[in-house]
Amino acid sequence: MSTTILPVADRAQVRAYARRLTLKYPRELSGALLLHGLAAVAGLAVPWQLGRLVGAVQDGADINVAVVAVAIGAFLALQAVLVRFATLASAKLGEKVLAELREEFVDRVLSLPLSTVERAGSGDLITRTSRDVDSLSRTVRHAVPETLIAVVTFAISLGGVVLVGPLLAAPMLLAAPLLWFSTRWYLKRARDGYLREGAAYAQMTAGLAETVEGARAVEALRLQERRHRRTDDDISRSWAAERYTLGLRTVWFPCVDLGYVIPVVSTLFVGGLLYVNGMATIEQVTVATLLAQQLVDPLDRFLMWIDELQVGAAAMARLLGVSSVPDDRAPGTAQPSDEMLAASNVRYAYREGRDVLHDVSLTVAPGERLAMVGPSGAGKSTLGRLLAGIHGPRSGEVTVGGVPLVELPLDDLRGHVALVTQEHHVFKGTLRDNLVIARPGADADEVLDALRAVDALDWVMALPDGLETEVGSGGTTISPAHAQQLALARLVLADPHTLVLDEATSLIDPRAARNLERSLAAVLEGRTVIAIAHRLYTAHDADRVAVVEGGRISELGSHDELVAAGGSYAALWDSWHGTANAGVPAGRAES
Amino acid sequence: MRTLPEADPGTPDIRGALRYLWWNARRQATPLLTGIAFAVLWWLAQAFVPYILGKGVDAVTGKDTGALMTWSAVLLGLGLLQAFAGVMRHRYAVYNWLAAAYRTVQVTTRQATRLGATLPKRLSTGEVVSVGNSDIAHIGNAMDILLRGTGAVVAIATITIIMLSTSVELGLMVLIGVPLMAAAVGPLLKPLHKRQKHQRDLQGELSTRAADIVAGLRVLRGVGGEKVFADRYREESQSVRHAGVRVVRVESLLEGAQILLPGLLIATVTMVGATFAVGGQITVGQLVAYYAYSVFLIAPMRTLIEAADKLTKGAVAAKRVIRILSIEPEVSGGTAGSLGGELRDLASGVRVREGELTALAASTTEQAIEIADRLGRYSDGRVLFGDTDLATLPIDEVRSRILVADNGARLFTGRLRDELGVRDVDDSLISQALHAACADDIVEALPEGLEAHVAESGREFSGGQQQRLRLARALIADPEVLILVEPTSAVDAHSEARIAERLVKARAGKTTLICTTSPLVLDRTDHVIYVEDGSVLAEGTHRSLLAGSREYAMTVTRGED
Repeated sequence: MSTTILPVADRAQVRAYARRLTLKYPRELSGALLLHGLAAVAGLAVPWQLGRLVGAVQDGADINVAVVAVAIGAFLALQAVLVRFATLASAKLGEKVLAELREEFVDRVLSLPLSTVERAGSGDLITRTSRDVDSLSRTVRHAVPETLIAVVTFAISLGGVVLVGPLLAAPMLLAAPLLWFSTRWYLKRARDGYLREGAAYAQMTAGLAETVEGARAVEALRLQERRHRRTDDDISRSWAAERYTLGLRTVWFPCVDLGYVIPVVSTLFVGGLLYVNGMATIEQVTVATLLAQQLVDPLDRFLMWIDELQVGAAAMARLLGVSSVPDDRAPGTAQPSDEMLAASNVRYAYREGRDVLHDVSLTVAPGERLAMVGPSGAGKSTLGRLLAGIHGPRSGEVTVGGVPLVELPLDDLRGHVALVTQEHHVFKGTLRDNLVIARPGADADEVLDALRAVDALDWVMALPDGLETEVGSGGTTISPAHAQQLALARLVLADPHTLVLDEATSLIDPRAARNLERSLAAVLEGRTVIAIAHRLYTAHDADRVAVVEGGRISELGSHDELVAAGGSYAALWDSWHGTANAGVPAGRAES
Repeated sequence: MRTLPEADPGTPDIRGALRYLWWNARRQATPLLTGIAFAVLWWLAQAFVPYILGKGVDAVTGKDTGALMTWSAVLLGLGLLQAFAGVMRHRYAVYNWLAAAYRTVQVTTRQATRLGATLPKRLSTGEVVSVGNSDIAHIGNAMDILLRGTGAVVAIATITIIMLSTSVELGLMVLIGVPLMAAAVGPLLKPLHKRQKHQRDLQGELSTRAADIVAGLRVLRGVGGEKVFADRYREESQSVRHAGVRVVRVESLLEGAQILLPGLLIATVTMVGATFAVGGQITVGQLVAYYAYSVFLIAPMRTLIEAADKLTKGAVAAKRVIRILSIEPEVSGGTAGSLGGELRDLASGVRVREGELTALAASTTEQAIEIADRLGRYSDGRVLFGDTDLATLPIDEVRSRILVADNGARLFTGRLRDELGVRDVDDSLISQALHAACADDIVEALPEGLEAHVAESGREFSGGQQQRLRLARALIADPEVLILVEPTSAVDAHSEARIAERLVKARAGKTTLICTTSPLVLDRTDHVIYVEDGSVLAEGTHRSLLAGSREYAMTVTRGED
């Protein structure tokens, strides 16, 4: 069921992007690397001084111990200062790049084609926005600088050993194949293993959340045993995934540990032999051995962060993928001649070969109120989306004033037609923020008028801070019914010529909904309104009713005409209204 | 290592946070102690490296090839031991972490199912979900750190003995110096944590903003406002960036301090050690060893600080867990039995007739829910089931005989067939129920039909689809008494009429109550009860009430006339 519609960037794209990003700030990058390099050079001083000391003591030469000690202290202080500024410089760069990355991503999300937004569902996009941005943050903040620093430090320390005595550097290479092959073996398996592990763990915690959220249902349906079993199964799966990665580490960790100890041992041993044979000084042996020990740290950092780089690259691929969604409309230059909305011979399919609309034609005159009713799955919402210009039809066309909706630039389209569905969303911010989205310049009076039009003025004014009340995530809770009112008020402010309301009042208490629809109708006088509704009074109040069944319009006409025609609408109305005769209903005279 | 999870997690000790952690530790005593043993061995292997290194240097300076070979071999042996003990320690650490975390998930799940309907009343979902999101990790960490922490104590003690036995002055210098250094960075930690918290908060807000944009993307792309939101996001993203830099300003100072402070100690130790070496009091090898000790000791010291932190956080997490574990269910049952029959709510006067389908229309939904909750014994009230007081029946028996199906109930994640088939039934019963609930088209549209996987608690289905599937689930449960609360509120008029018709047939001869105000449903039931202000105002058929009660007509025709 969950279909991933959003694409993922390929390896080459990710690489190109990473390269572009790395080279975007050459000055900052080279500055940070230089500082880290200098810090590593300063770090060589301690083994070097200690080696001198050992050499002098051994040879019985005269050496001022205090000078050596002060030199060690001074070099370490220098290293400390350099590390401080190097860390700061690379973090500043990292934060800058990271901010750019996430801002670019959000810009890309905000320019996703309408049809993709409507169809993709938000699950995949939310994962990308939360988890992938998070893992990319970790990569840019920690993994990239840590590995870079590790490489620089390692290279300089190794360079130090070579300088001290090339012969002494040779034994260290013994560890290289061990580290190389074991790490390659590990990395090849690690990513999938950790992905599985993460997924299994998430499934376990999601299972707990579900049990908690559905606790009442668990009790009502006596699903206790089943939930326990589910939890235990989730845990088993998590344990199996954990055991797999643990197995990988059980092989890799000892190899790495040995890779660290071999250079120290072999430098000491080979160096010692060289010294005994007069091919190296004691000073060289000491320095080389201590440096071999010092190499462990950058190497360890590098290996620990390298798989994080892989995770970051995967996250980056998904973030970049959002920008590869092709645009769904090619705006033309034609201007609509009027506000006449027409669908002619429209077919539409979500999946190839399975049309959900079959040859539908419909003309809606400016200012008309049309209600669409019909069983769920009949294609009402699809037709609504086509009439709102969100999707283009597979064949046939939907036009406003003679111009196909999908050939209008998005900003123009919004001026002509807008869609409100039963899905509502309250944005984090003040209540006013939530309303003026559609018209940023709207003044207080306009906002209040819009609220009045949807019967929401009273409760909004009763809020502690009125229009300035903080709502949305973390703010005052707005009930779904009130959220629907806000969505409608927003639309009133946006003031498009045609409104498509897809069950836009379904969550509002039935009696209140009818009042709302009436006051809304007064404000929208002269506007075209297409309302998809499951409550029959909406149809009753409309100018015309279209009954949509099986992807076709089976009945079309005014309420009275359809009731008189005695078709499926008439039967429904009779049952709804409870009058045995299908004549003029009692409520008609009032409206 | 035994397989996880345990079949029975046992009864947790909820008398206190530390007791809960202790209970966990005792449940996994063997792996915990084994892990501690490996951790001690691992630390010891590392602690002896400086000593052996010093011996090796001495062998070199003494040009003693035999001794050099011996000490190199010992050093390699220590390396092998460290690698072995290290990986074993790691394996046990992971095992212990998981064992405690899993056990906590198990006991929390069992408590959640024991509390049932009481849970949402007493706890917010967030509180319990945070157990899964963070608390189990903290509890796991507390177990994990016991291994390394104990080992660190042993390592510090061992090095103390080695050093003091070689040179009291140098030994004392290192022993006093290292904790001093660890303490000296203390003043930096407070501002660091403050800035980190600030940054995390901003980061959290930024993530919320991004999630907000995605969740409301339809609105933004539909009516406009993208630029406003892009600007707002950019602004907040930049403050996260600056907060991040502020964190690093302190963090980088800490990094520097962690080089500088040990550096000072190393310089001092080297100076004193060199003086001793020049004076011949210690060997060159021992000088190198002292240098290596003062570098090495930093690690176990940091582990101790980490241990204090993790144990504290573990205790806080355990406290949250036991708060959940110590709640008791609100309603309790007795031991009586009942032959069943009519279900009567004395407070409102609502009678659900045996073997019939009754409809209840209340002037507000809240009243209907209150009555349904009393009839299903989710809240206290005088209710008779046949001639027995409902409160005297065992709760489990009430649940098995009377099912209240409301719109708060979700579908669960899993195979659709399993999630609908709440008891063992064959496919023909499932398809009958799906038909009655007008939900057959939903299943048909799924490529895998009943085998399809319901993800995210069925959130991928529309509101109306979820409602019809839930109705099918309630019909499959087939209880003696079925109470449906607004079962068609999210369904279109066409389907509503169809569902009502089929429901009457599906529950023929069985006691059923439908709480609804939809005329399409009410018209198809034989008997309707109208409730206003919490008690029965009128009874009869839909059409007779429509004609006879103005209040009823107002409620169900929704103020139309």
